[in-house]
Amino acid sequence: MSENPTRRDLFATVARGTVLAVLGGGALFLVKKANGQVVWQVDASRCVNSRLGEVGVTACNLCTTECVVALSAVRAVNEYSRCGRCNICPAYFNITSAVNELGQPSEKLCPRDAIARRPIGKVDPEDPANNFYEYIIDEEKCDGCGKCVMQCKEPLGLGSITLRVRYDKCVNCNRCSISKACPQNALMQLPVSQALQPAGVLRPE
Amino acid sequence: MQYRQVQVIDGKGALHGIAVDGHGHGDVYAAGEAEIKVFDATGRLARRWSTSRPAWSVAVAGDGSVYAGELGQIEIFDGAGKLRDTWRDDKLLRRVTAIGFSGDSVLAGDSADRAIRRFDRGGRFLNNIGKDNPLGGLLIPNGVVDFGVDGEGIVFAANPGKHRVERYTPGGQLLGHIGRFDGNDPAGFTGCCNPTNVAIGDAIYTAEKAGPRAKVYDFGGKLLAVIATEPFDANCKNMDIAVDSRGRVYVVETVKLAIFVFERVTA
Repeated sequence: MSENPTRRDLFATVARGTVLAVLGGGALFLVKKANGQVVWQVDASRCVNSRLGEVGVTACNLCTTECVVALSAVRAVNEYSRCGRCNICPAYFNITSAVNELGQPSEKLCPRDAIARRPIGKVDPEDPANNFYEYIIDEEKCDGCGKCVMQCKEPLGLGSITLRVRYDKCVNCNRCSISKACPQNALMQLPVSQALQPAGVLRPE
Repeated sequence: MQYRQVQVIDGKGALHGIAVDGHGHGDVYAAGEAEIKVFDATGRLARRWSTSRPAWSVAVAGDGSVYAGELGQIEIFDGAGKLRDTWRDDKLLRRVTAIGFSGDSVLAGDSADRAIRRFDRGGRFLNNIGKDNPLGGLLIPNGVVDFGVDGEGIVFAANPGKHRVERYTPGGQLLGHIGRFDGNDPAGFTGCCNPTNVAIGDAIYTAEKAGPRAKVYDFGGKLLAVIATEPFDANCKNMDIAVDSRGRVYVVETVKLAIFVFERVTA
């Protein structure tokens, strides 16, 4: 190369560098994927079931219908640190069903009865409204339909329930069938360390 | 009974708690991000001043003093915004989302501990209200303690987790409640936790979230009217509510950052 490179030389150098960087990045990504270091995860800030501002819409169940895994590898997860432990949880009860003799909705929301609850702390047997409850999602029953997620999010709830890919169930397809169907591009591939973080805004590597 | 919307006051930025003065001037006081804003009866921003910490609530005492509820403290200003006193307490005043007066007492809702604190006018702590009565205190998953006080000094606290408005003596004794859960009947309170906010005048005024609405009940718990639903964005929550001596109802719209004013329609 001459001591005084032309603009053409400079462009060629930059272009070669860019191509090498892209190829290198792609190769690194494939190596990570092959080693199981890159996995699929749901971005709660994109998923219509958990995204703030989406109220009065029907819950999206594409994670249930599109996943190649039986029932779906996506399940509802309750982040206990954010849960309000409410007496009348809109994700547990169908809050528009008739009120029963205990003053509570008479029907549950989950079509698979995958959410259980138990009172915690001091318990008032006379008045259920005085009690706090722990809500436990049975992931073996849950099919990720998203109904509880939609009802839990603010302003109705506190947004403690989100949809998450469960890695003991996910087969880590190269092109996740849910991601192909999801109109919100809420499924993304991430390094394992990031994908295991609590639900929040996710960013691809 | 019916209400109509008569005014929309541009909040000029963030809006949390509001209060109306007791003199019938029509001034509306609002706690903003770290400031107090005063709107005159026409809705014009008449004056504003800074608070030293984020302000969550505001109240106007009979002598015109303005109390601002903040994180870890209450600041007391004169009507022009000059700081007169600061009550600082990192344990009792962790997040003051409501302030009121009962006789010679100052009441402060501390949402971090789900309790109402009662102080004398000098800032000396007297007792808690609603903390342990009957179990676990006020259930407020929505993060705001709010209450109103009637002319006799009785405290009406929103207990949204129980879908009730509870009545307490200033000493903290639970006297009873109104309200029940119902996801369909407008006379009930729906969702996980409603009503979030309450104001007391000639009746009990409540504000709810999901779907947002303001309502009025008599003191026996009978629904008198749904004041409004439609002007509020569906994402509103913790809409503070106030009522003035003329029966005008003021509701904070937390998405549009405005104060909606409603008036009873007379036949």
